[in-house]
Amino acid sequence: MTPPRRAWLDVLVAGLDPRRDLLVAGLGANARYLPHLGVPVPHFALCDAMGAAIPLALGMALARPDRQVTALEGDGSLLMSLGTLATVAAARPANLTVLVFDNRHYESSGGQHLPAVEVDFVAVARAARLAIAERLAGADELAGALERARGAGPALFVLPTRYDPQEPIPPYSERPDEIRLAFRRALQAPGAGSV
Amino acid sequence: MSDPAPSPTREGSRAIVTALEEAGVTLVPSVPDTWIGWLMEELRRSPRLRVIDVAREEEAVALACGAALCGARAAVVMQNAGLLNCGAVIASLVQLYRVPCFFLVSYRGDERDPVYYHAPKGQRTEPTLAAWSIRWARAAGPTRIGGQIREGLAWVEEAGAPFALLFSAEDLA
Repeated sequence: MTPPRRAWLDVLVAGLDPRRDLLVAGLGANARYLPHLGVPVPHFALCDAMGAAIPLALGMALARPDRQVTALEGDGSLLMSLGTLATVAAARPANLTVLVFDNRHYESSGGQHLPAVEVDFVAVARAARLAIAERLAGADELAGALERARGAGPALFVLPTRYDPQEPIPPYSERPDEIRLAFRRALQAPGAGSV
Repeated sequence: MSDPAPSPTREGSRAIVTALEEAGVTLVPSVPDTWIGWLMEELRRSPRLRVIDVAREEEAVALACGAALCGARAAVVMQNAGLLNCGAVIASLVQLYRVPCFFLVSYRGDERDPVYYHAPKGQRTEPTLAAWSIRWARAAGPTRIGGQIREGLAWVEEAGAPFALLFSAEDLA
């Protein structure tokens, strides 16, 4: 059975290490969940800017090679900006991992379907020469995949995700200024390394 | 009609590199055009600047924001055609989150540009920047462009906002 989004997010958050991880969420459900998950690492959630999560995370990865940066992106957002995989591959950030939540819907805008073709994001990522590109079958595979990708990227994992129109996704609950300031504070916190 | 050959002196290009280095810029995400190609020859020689070739201009903006959020400095280098692509990401990332973002933009299609097909972009660049509430300036020649870059980079840090410095081929000479 296809895992629900929360199953992936719960495994991800449980494995985050404040001393070494940064997290970026593209707009939509992932960004809306983050404030409610007790994320223990500096994290930055987009409430708009569709397609920007991966290059935003790339900038962080290049600026902070001492950190492992994980970008959460939707399949619709990635479809909007597929060329960014070539940019990532060319920049070769070993410390960048992209998680693509694949549910074939624009969930945050009402559940509209993506263009009616099953895009093989793993094949696209491999064609773009990312170091690692895999489709995971279940949330029990995620922790091991993230550990394998640590410092060995750029990596992309496609996470098949159940689309449930009744899922009670919380609304956006943080303002952009709060998100920016909280990210900076968390990066500068004792034990987190200075910027 | 094509672009004339670049000037062999390139005083302006070297001034740009020096100004970026001295201001602590380390990342230069970019999509090229002919003029930027001339500038890139100098930028890529710098041991302190890393040029990041991106597939599309919006990525350069987001990449620069990611760097800025982590305390690094970037300068986005693109043509005004690319800047015109970037309205959404500037509004919904740079301005919404108030992230410093410095743009160095080749200003195609103004009165100094000999290539006719750039003219429509040139006519729309300054009105678009005004409509998007982006502060901007025209580069004032090879001897002054370095100072303008330093001032622009300082301003974006203070303001938490975007700034675009528009340059022409003669500013690189």
